[in-house]
Amino acid sequence: MKLWKTKSAATLGLLLLTFTTACGSGASQPTAQASTDAAATPAATTSTETKATADAKPAAGEEITVYLNDFDAVIGDMFEKKTGYKLNVVVGNGAEIMSRVEAEKGNPQWDVLWIDSMPSVYGLDQKGQLLQDWTPENAGNLKESFEAQVPDDKSYYPTGAHAAGVLVYNTNELSEADAPKSWEDLTKDTYKDLIGTADPAIAAPAYPFVSWFFENKGMEGGQDYFGTMMKNGMRVYPKNPQVAQALTAGEVDVAMLQETNAYSLVNAGEPIEIIWPEEGAPGSVRVAAIQKDTKHAAVAKEFVNFLLDPEVQQQLINEGDESYFEPSAEGVETKEDREQDAKLNIADAAWASEHEAEIKQWFADQAIQ
Amino acid sequence: MTIVLAVLVLFPLAAVIVQVLLPGIFFGSLNFGEIGLLLELFERPLWRKSLENSLLLGLGTAVLGTLLGTVLAMARMQWKFPGARWLDAAVWVLFIMPSFILAQGWIMFSTGNGLAASVFGWHWVTAAVFQPAGLIVIMTLSKFPLAYLSVKAAMEWKVEMLSDAARLCGASPFKVWRTVQAPLLLPAILSGMALVFMDTIGDFGLPSAVAAVYRFPTLPYSIYSAIYTSPIRFDMAGVLSLYLVALIAVAMLLQFWVLRRSRYDILSGRAVPSVPKPAGRRMTWALAIGNALFLLVVIGIPIGSSIVTSLLKIQTNGLTASNLTLENYASLLSEGSSLLPGLGRSLLIAGSAAVIGLIVGLGASFVLSYSRFRFKRGIETASLISFAVPGVVLGIGYIFVWNQPWLENLGIRLYGKPGILVLAAIAGAIPVITRVMTGAMAKVPESLLDAAQLQGGSLISRIRYILAPLVRGALISAGLAAFGACVFDLAVNSILFPPNFETLPVAIDDAFEDLRFGYASAATVAGGGIVVGIMMILERLLRRKEASA
Repeated sequence: MKLWKTKSAATLGLLLLTFTTACGSGASQPTAQASTDAAATPAATTSTETKATADAKPAAGEEITVYLNDFDAVIGDMFEKKTGYKLNVVVGNGAEIMSRVEAEKGNPQWDVLWIDSMPSVYGLDQKGQLLQDWTPENAGNLKESFEAQVPDDKSYYPTGAHAAGVLVYNTNELSEADAPKSWEDLTKDTYKDLIGTADPAIAAPAYPFVSWFFENKGMEGGQDYFGTMMKNGMRVYPKNPQVAQALTAGEVDVAMLQETNAYSLVNAGEPIEIIWPEEGAPGSVRVAAIQKDTKHAAVAKEFVNFLLDPEVQQQLINEGDESYFEPSAEGVETKEDREQDAKLNIADAAWASEHEAEIKQWFADQAIQ
Repeated sequence: MTIVLAVLVLFPLAAVIVQVLLPGIFFGSLNFGEIGLLLELFERPLWRKSLENSLLLGLGTAVLGTLLGTVLAMARMQWKFPGARWLDAAVWVLFIMPSFILAQGWIMFSTGNGLAASVFGWHWVTAAVFQPAGLIVIMTLSKFPLAYLSVKAAMEWKVEMLSDAARLCGASPFKVWRTVQAPLLLPAILSGMALVFMDTIGDFGLPSAVAAVYRFPTLPYSIYSAIYTSPIRFDMAGVLSLYLVALIAVAMLLQFWVLRRSRYDILSGRAVPSVPKPAGRRMTWALAIGNALFLLVVIGIPIGSSIVTSLLKIQTNGLTASNLTLENYASLLSEGSSLLPGLGRSLLIAGSAAVIGLIVGLGASFVLSYSRFRFKRGIETASLISFAVPGVVLGIGYIFVWNQPWLENLGIRLYGKPGILVLAAIAGAIPVITRVMTGAMAKVPESLLDAAQLQGGSLISRIRYILAPLVRGALISAGLAAFGACVFDLAVNSILFPPNFETLPVAIDDAFEDLRFGYASAATVAGGGIVVGIMMILERLLRRKEASA
């Protein structure tokens, strides 16, 4: 009995020792890391230079890793067929992808980021994480409205835009005459307790949607607008799919829904009608950006250039999973059933990026009103 | 064992919390963060409210869920009745299903023109469900399996003579239960309660979906809103996670305090395996019918709704004969479907995690139960952390730790490789395993092990021939629970999965985000069915071996 006690105490003491040393080394690692990193900074600049020379001919069979939130099913094959380079795809919703990018900051694993959150990508560029001052060949094909979205430092390029939110209503519950026609209509008492929306504090596509209202109406005007709707019993769901489910389940009759989501409900045969308000729908721009220290710059550039190719955009519209969007290149046809004169209002990326935390926090705080 | 635990659970979380104080430490810069953030809880109304709501929800669900789980487990082990196996299966189903799926089912049932109102005419359901008390009830009906499993595992062996003595002294069966049987199960009951509490305060999916109507922010909600913003506030997520950890520590302290003096190690040479007894005709019927009704509610509503969704052509048109289809199931098997490869990967990961987790967890529970190690309470609390802290936060911690460039030179930069998912899955499995195991080990007296040691039994042989057989049921439950829970663990998967390595939950979530509800439901039902099937077969095989031994 006594023996087993002393023996076990000894082993446990040993365990404790290893535990504390393990902890100790854990704490010391990052500092060691910091010093090696500091030493590595001057070297990094030289390595970008060598990369520039390596740009000329990427090795055959080279692979790049793309972080994206849509088109994961088709894009890899398309790129490989056209160029012979393999694409490693990481798919997730906008917030998951941005969390990964942020958490990997010290040692990024992605080469290209292709995502429909322009303000967040703008923010990455502000922190110096993107490759700048490079113009893809196909940038010449960009429509004027999309050229305007290319930042001065040329750190990302738009591949298309879609409505971050359109109005949809359940035709079994509301007649066309009773349905809302404009964004302002939603504040009316007629729609008390009938409206559903995604939570901008949680859902990634909801921010480009609300940010346009805040830019357009000013911070206070935006708060008034959404505040009125919330007081009017607007239901706030964590994400777009839950909004769509609430709509099909009859929990709400009117909703603000991301464009492709809205069209896929209609295409699935759900009794849903889409309304494009005359003043236009808040738009969300999908942009492609290259990671500053990528080891595969040449293939990454090839990929971004490929995305700006009119043929490629046409194929995405014909075959992709998020196919309802306005292509950024000239001469590409949108989906036939997409509203032909759909007007998109796009919040300024710099403005939206600057106010993102403030606006999202305001929405999160509304959860306790 | 401790080191493994530390690497798996503590390092990633510590990483998230450390970067509150030293942001940039993982990116090669050393600067000091705002300590004031720690106190912001008392200033930001949302955070304060989140804490209150989480506490209310956690406590309410813990009390009700433990009560329900304990009563059910006792009835199940006491009496024989038809359908008892179905109760076990139902518990597994509830345990492994992601909570947002359960939430969808409840919402579809209770919404204004949901099944409750439109088919049964129960219009009161809507108002009853969509309020905080209703949320607690739904949480109770979804989380009680943790208490059930813990108590059931601990009832595997019993010492009849204690109850017999009480009966001989004239106590009624109820009094025997109240004064002898129930108190002896206290460690297992409290273990179950701790698990229910932690799983509830860490849950994001269910409360956020059910509370859309009246807003009920919880700590996980605030954590998500800090992460899902740009610039991303990992520091805020870290602070809020720290509060979750503090809540767990308090819960554990309470548990130690309650158990501080009593002894529960009652098993001796006279212990016999529990076998449910016949209950008499009327009682049997009552139990069978009660069980069936109960299953209809806890399984029928949430899972039934998923099944209905998976069979509909057009969701809005509801349940009519012309609107039924098997198309969604057919497309699961079609070429290009990511379900089967995803399921294969998930099963592989969950299987390895369950086996390794069982070894680590058994060791940890052994240390916790029989050693005199001074800091064992600390270890015990730490082993539970991964349960309550949202998977996204742990996932971010894993990236911080396992994406360090210097690991690359050692060949162990696990982030970006499937191994990281196994690691995270083990971390997720350990709390369940240690809780279930310590609950069961509390009944095995140290003297049995000492006796074996006096005869010259080594540590391994003591565990193998004395301890393992006595806690076999708990071992099986723990291993299966860990396996099942890993298969569907979405949060960690979604942030850690390597390129081109989609797992089952990621594939399902992807379909859900693309609004392919029918397909997503079909994948959930089929995937869940396969997993529960595997678990039931394993359980049967392992238990039968025991009966013949």
